[in-house]
Amino acid sequence: MLSIHGGGRHGLGSKVGTVLCWIASIIVAAVCISIIGYLLWKGGHSINWRFLTSDPAASLMEDAAGGVRTPMAGTAILTLLSIALALPVAIGAAVYLAEYMNERWWITRIVRIGLETLASVPSVVFGMFGLSVFTLGTFKFLSGSGAEGSQAAFGRSFLVASIVMAVHILPFVIKVAEEAIRNVPASLRQGALALGMTKWRTISKVVLPAARSGIATAVVLGMGLAAGDTAIVWLTLGGSMTMGVDKWWQVGNWIATLRGAGSTLTTFAYFNSPAGDGNSAGAAFGAAFLLVCIVLVFNLAAVVLFRRRNLNGR
Amino acid sequence: MSDSFLTADSNETFAILEGMLSTSAPRVRSTDAPSVFEVKGLDVSYGKKRVLHDVSLDIPEKRITAFIGPSGCGKSTALRCLNRMNDEIPSFRMDGKITLAGQDIRGKAVNLTALRRSVGMVFQQPNPFPMSVYDNIALAVREHQGRMGKAELDAVVEQALRHASLWDEVKDSLKDSALSLSGGQQQRLCIARALAVKPAVIMLDEPCASLDPISTARIEELLLELSTDYSIIIVTHNMAQAKRISDKVAFFLMGRLIEMGDALQVFEAPVRQETAEYIRGAFG
Repeated sequence: MLSIHGGGRHGLGSKVGTVLCWIASIIVAAVCISIIGYLLWKGGHSINWRFLTSDPAASLMEDAAGGVRTPMAGTAILTLLSIALALPVAIGAAVYLAEYMNERWWITRIVRIGLETLASVPSVVFGMFGLSVFTLGTFKFLSGSGAEGSQAAFGRSFLVASIVMAVHILPFVIKVAEEAIRNVPASLRQGALALGMTKWRTISKVVLPAARSGIATAVVLGMGLAAGDTAIVWLTLGGSMTMGVDKWWQVGNWIATLRGAGSTLTTFAYFNSPAGDGNSAGAAFGAAFLLVCIVLVFNLAAVVLFRRRNLNGR
Repeated sequence: MSDSFLTADSNETFAILEGMLSTSAPRVRSTDAPSVFEVKGLDVSYGKKRVLHDVSLDIPEKRITAFIGPSGCGKSTALRCLNRMNDEIPSFRMDGKITLAGQDIRGKAVNLTALRRSVGMVFQQPNPFPMSVYDNIALAVREHQGRMGKAELDAVVEQALRHASLWDEVKDSLKDSALSLSGGQQQRLCIARALAVKPAVIMLDEPCASLDPISTARIEELLLELSTDYSIIIVTHNMAQAKRISDKVAFFLMGRLIEMGDALQVFEAPVRQETAEYIRGAFG
């Protein structure tokens, strides 16, 4: 006799499972929202036009602690320069991994292991490595000379920090870009080859343009990563609250600025907090809140670009 | 009685469907044409798996040749040997000789780009590039003819689209994405793209498999028109289609060429029993 009632032994288990998933998601969302909320509460009052447009000034009085203009510029410079250095290498590597490498070769496994390792190295290690390398005398052109009479380079500047940061974000950008390239349908490659296009032309004229929103996602994620890093900045950019050069924004001073030390929002927050021997907690929280907003914007942009890919291509 | 509710479009639709449904006799154009492709002793394997055994055939010039046979019989593989698309597959091995207009396509001096320009291919799933309609064709043209003035390029694009009987439908939306076209239009765009580089041969691998009957009929009509200027090879598992448009038919089964001849002869009086059974619908 056919019966569709009763039974349902697994009904309770499913319900419990569903509820647990809900609770887990709510916890995650709650943590995120409370962090942002806390930052807003503690630092929101610091954020005003003066804060955003004036330079930091050392002062014991909280009111006169100055603003975040130079650290914001520092974040912008570092982020843009790091992604500019990392992107060509990342695309080249991603193309090679997706189009030329055969998964069965032993060298492929070595490259993949190398990338996985690079991705898991803590950024402070990168910073230390960068500092050791770029204080060598040969790299003086990147950061100016060190102490009087020494052969060493100073080792800290925007150029040095960008190079080290670029290496840090490289594995992530490669991974997302490679995924984007692999997702381009094989039928497009076949169509291009059948038209007589060489493999390289197929990649440059058909595959990469088709993967552009995925690659844009990789860029934006990389920028978010670079903007939020502290250890590398602290070690390789120095903790100078001001730029190396007065009137750093003038084009003629750009090289000098890049060879000089500076700060970003991350180090600004650190140095103004009690951990960094500062006592402008308000400014630190303000900078931290700004930073979270910036990283959020980057991540939202990545989501939008990702969705656009699904509408544009097939 | 008013027949104004019948629009011109629906009249055309009825005419197309009627044409398809009628059991027309196979075409009788003479196939005493010179051969554009000659295949001798073609053996193909992918790794250890043998997929074609000792296939020999000639493709006549400016006619429509159909490769028919059940799924997995090797007809698509045979097609892809003709423009060396199988070279892209690492485990592919080939023995035998294929000549195009008397030249060995695997000869040392052969330029693969030039070969694939002369032998165009259209695939089962339409695969326009994710760019505008105009750019799809312009990219193909620039690939082979280098830099061109805008006026000249516009003219080539228009001509290719007219040739593929797509111009009237897209002339006002050339800059729109090719992906916004319907399936049938995308397939005609792919044909236009192949035509734009002025091939000698056009090969189509089940081009209508993913299209509705109306689009299929339009493409068949297009192929019939094109066969006055181009040699056409079409792989199809649709026997009615093969009957409707082909001049010559090659029947494949399990990697072997069982029978090849004029369409009239193969469909009405096949020599081999396997051919007769397949045509009758005993398997497929």
